[in-house]
Amino acid sequence: MAEQTLNVPQLIVFVILAVLAIRWFMAKPSNVTRPSTTRTVRVNPSQIDQIAQMFPQMNRRDIAWDLQRNGGNVAATTEKVLSGRTLDPAPESFNPPPQRSNPTSRTATPTPKPAQTDLITRYNLASKLSAAPESSTSDSQTKQKTWSQDRNERQANLQRRREEMILAARRKMEEKDRAKTAGAAVS
Amino acid sequence: MSSSASKRLFKEYRMLSSDAPDGITAGPVSEDDMFVWEALIQGPEGTPFEGGVFPAELKFPKDYPLAPPKMKFCVDVWHPNVYPNGEVCISILHPPGDDPHHYEQASERWSPIQSVEKILISVMSMLAEPNDESPANVDAARMWRERRQEYEGRVRENVRKSLGL
Repeated sequence: MAEQTLNVPQLIVFVILAVLAIRWFMAKPSNVTRPSTTRTVRVNPSQIDQIAQMFPQMNRRDIAWDLQRNGGNVAATTEKVLSGRTLDPAPESFNPPPQRSNPTSRTATPTPKPAQTDLITRYNLASKLSAAPESSTSDSQTKQKTWSQDRNERQANLQRRREEMILAARRKMEEKDRAKTAGAAVS
Repeated sequence: MSSSASKRLFKEYRMLSSDAPDGITAGPVSEDDMFVWEALIQGPEGTPFEGGVFPAELKFPKDYPLAPPKMKFCVDVWHPNVYPNGEVCISILHPPGDDPHHYEQASERWSPIQSVEKILISVMSMLAEPNDESPANVDAARMWRERRQEYEGRVRENVRKSLGL
């Protein structure tokens, strides 16, 4: 009995020591690895591109991680992939060098679809829609076949011709619609 | 090189402004950069594109007119010769010697004697008569060949949508 009661404080001391020891061991690796990653040379993005182009299925991060660890040896990484070994996944903390803004492969990048706005919004014509068509534009269609010597005037002329073209098309379509609904109502 | 290109573009701009063909309006977005133009093309009559107005962006290379510009529609154009991203694929926009399949004759392709006006007129007639030998939009080409009604319906729908109706 006496032996057992003596063990209780010993046990507490042991637990405290164990916790401290575990914490020390857990903290150790991160303290050690952090300086080592910063010490190694940054990988050249062109080397990553080079490998990424050969093996488009590979993750760029993993490629960068492998290059980082073998000191930027493209041949070694290529060899590794070709021999069928998988590259180690890059750890969370690893920041690969950013991809160059202009990727070298132009063929594979799909161009984004054009923004889907109608012409009225695109050319800011909503306010001009309700306005009655000016007499000159509606029937005689006097095309401004003018060439101004003044640059700003030229720009304004071009702008006006664009707007007139779109508004005319819109009005024509609206008229057609009206004629159609009128025709449907009669029949 | 680029100054002669912008001179030539300026000349074309002046000609297009003073004597534009019907249904075409084109000019630089801003005269600060003569190499980016915006064109409006009217849908040809008697086609499902009728009544529509189609804006497109033209981008000229620095060695224009030796090399052709690139043309891209800024609205949905469902057409066998227009890529889903809006890029136009017709022979006049291809430099000679660039056609590995020999679909096109050299005379139809780009050369410095062509012009923006000719490109836009060609695009207009392309809208009316698709060329399904080398389609840029395979789905549109198939629909045009096999289900013409559906194709025309879709084109009309896009026209109405682009006019905000």
